[in-house]
Amino acid sequence: MSKPPDESERNYEHPLYDYMLRVPGLDVAVTSIDQLLTWGATHSLWIFPMATSCCGIEFMAAAASRVDLDRMGAMIRGTPRQCDVMVVAGTITVKMAPRVKRLWDQMPEPKWCVAMGSCAISGDFYRDIYSVVPGIDTAIPVDVYIPGCPPNPETVMAGLLRLQDKVRLRRAGLPVPSDERPEVHDRTIVPTIGRYEDRKRRGGADPISEAQLESARRLLVRGFPMPEGIDAAATPVAPAKEEPKL
Amino acid sequence: MASTAAVSSKARASSTEASLTPTRAFVPDPYLDLATYAAAADLLTLSLGPQHPSTHGVFRVVLYLDGELIVKAVPHVGYLHRGVEKLCEKLSYSNVTPILDKNDYVAPMCNEQAANMVFEQLLGVEVPLRAKFVRTLLAELQRIASHLLWLGTFAMDLGGALGGGTSVFMYCFRERELILDLFEELTGCRFHYNTHCIGGNRHDIPAGYPALVHQSLDLIEARLLEYLGMLEHPIFRDRTRGVGTVDAELALELGLTGPLLRASGIDHDLRRDAPYHVYDLLDVNVICDDGGDCYARYKVRLQEIAESIRLSRLLIDNLPAGPICSTKPLSGVTQFKITSGQAYVAIESPRGELGTWLIAGGKGMNPYRMKLRPPSLHALAAVPYLFPRHTLSDAVAILGSLDPIMGEADR
Repeated sequence: MSKPPDESERNYEHPLYDYMLRVPGLDVAVTSIDQLLTWGATHSLWIFPMATSCCGIEFMAAAASRVDLDRMGAMIRGTPRQCDVMVVAGTITVKMAPRVKRLWDQMPEPKWCVAMGSCAISGDFYRDIYSVVPGIDTAIPVDVYIPGCPPNPETVMAGLLRLQDKVRLRRAGLPVPSDERPEVHDRTIVPTIGRYEDRKRRGGADPISEAQLESARRLLVRGFPMPEGIDAAATPVAPAKEEPKL
Repeated sequence: MASTAAVSSKARASSTEASLTPTRAFVPDPYLDLATYAAAADLLTLSLGPQHPSTHGVFRVVLYLDGELIVKAVPHVGYLHRGVEKLCEKLSYSNVTPILDKNDYVAPMCNEQAANMVFEQLLGVEVPLRAKFVRTLLAELQRIASHLLWLGTFAMDLGGALGGGTSVFMYCFRERELILDLFEELTGCRFHYNTHCIGGNRHDIPAGYPALVHQSLDLIEARLLEYLGMLEHPIFRDRTRGVGTVDAELALELGLTGPLLRASGIDHDLRRDAPYHVYDLLDVNVICDDGGDCYARYKVRLQEIAESIRLSRLLIDNLPAGPICSTKPLSGVTQFKITSGQAYVAIESPRGELGTWLIAGGKGMNPYRMKLRPPSLHALAAVPYLFPRHTLSDAVAILGSLDPIMGEADR
């Protein structure tokens, strides 16, 4: 265990600390109760699994018999209102992202978010497809990235340990270093299939409905801003695909 | 529909509470107009999903409840739509396989096989006998793993009846890990193997592998009896018997395949009726049940595990020598070109008939059109027929017994 940080200059703002400082004889207990609370916070991370696809299965494997996240106090709960950590496991689509955001907003503070798997991190090779969100950090803040497709259960556990370190730092009032977002490898093939704002999308064949535009705007996908006043009819029509010879 | 009329009145006759009595004696109708249902009824609209632990992914169904009884169910799909079919049109033939792994993420081996078989059919490539044996073996092992995962999650859906339900889940995952270890030993991956290629397999069976397979299968076979001990008790039977009955007529009408169809009493299995790989050399026992309810589906799947264990042993014992792949190792994306023709290949995945229809065209680099026929989507089509006249807790059991995988349903 690492040495506890020097706390002589720290200003505690929690009412519990005020109470303990006011009662004579209790000041000695401040440090140890703080450590106790930190220990409790790091080892009772209740997880809300936002499992959509393959990573969800691997996350289930991490929670099941062999790896067993329970021994770190990480319980899986089905409702966001009881949870501290949201594990986003799997591809998040444009249709699903507002729901994820809403579930995230329903979780009580303090809360953390873990992006598990390359789809949740960056969308991977689905990132340029019209229906997929290029990474969940475009919608909600992510604390820990667990790369892999899908990550092994052991990797999930390593990510959870990293999250515990962050919880400790945040409780100690120290600056929490932000995780670096793993980027897609240069050689990954990332096909593009027309997004809503794609100007090459054919205008007449499948016109974009106002509701679709509105939902995409509300999402505010980072790096893919919606141009104002997009005119579907004015967009150039893509050349017709060559007919197959059967 | 005829089937829902056949929903066992036996199971419901015992419930005498007022909340279980519908306001109106109704004929179950998936297209029920709620305005005409009953003026006095105080219908509750409940949106189950898209995030719900029992929906097995991101499936949403809007339920209209009269008291505790469901009068109408409207399913919504598309929360995991990733444009896979369109994506395949942008990729070269050798790059399609790893994409389809992520389609049905509980049985990736079967998806790979279906895609590569359709390419081989159009290219006219012969698959060596050893590769066919390995493919059959992998498919059967994958069926065991998939059914084990289904059993664990189904027991968890039934929840309270089984002491929290997580015990069966834990046991099933213990056995599933054995199968995944076998796959990891062979391909290096727990998931998304990308082991099939055009003309055969990428990874040959290593030395000592048959012993490992036998060891794992022996363990799983012995532990299947433990499941029976845990599951065969009155509460489990009460919650599954007579719940969600599909008769043969409705099953055929909806296009149900696989264990769902066989649990409705129709003796149909592509492994025997339209053999591919080396299934024509094997004598596959097709397991059927006449019940049509959740209990029948559970029984069919559990017996299919035992049948797959038997087939896997046969296959690994009789593995012929020879090359594993008939084509050269992949040198570039332009190695395989299919300029014209179309083909449909259907295989029996753990969930039913997994079809892949390919139209080749253009310059031959990419598929012109690739249509996937996912069994899960057709299973979900049964939801509006099965849910009415059941309670909310039964709805969860029915949805669990359908074993939908949203990755392949939404594509």
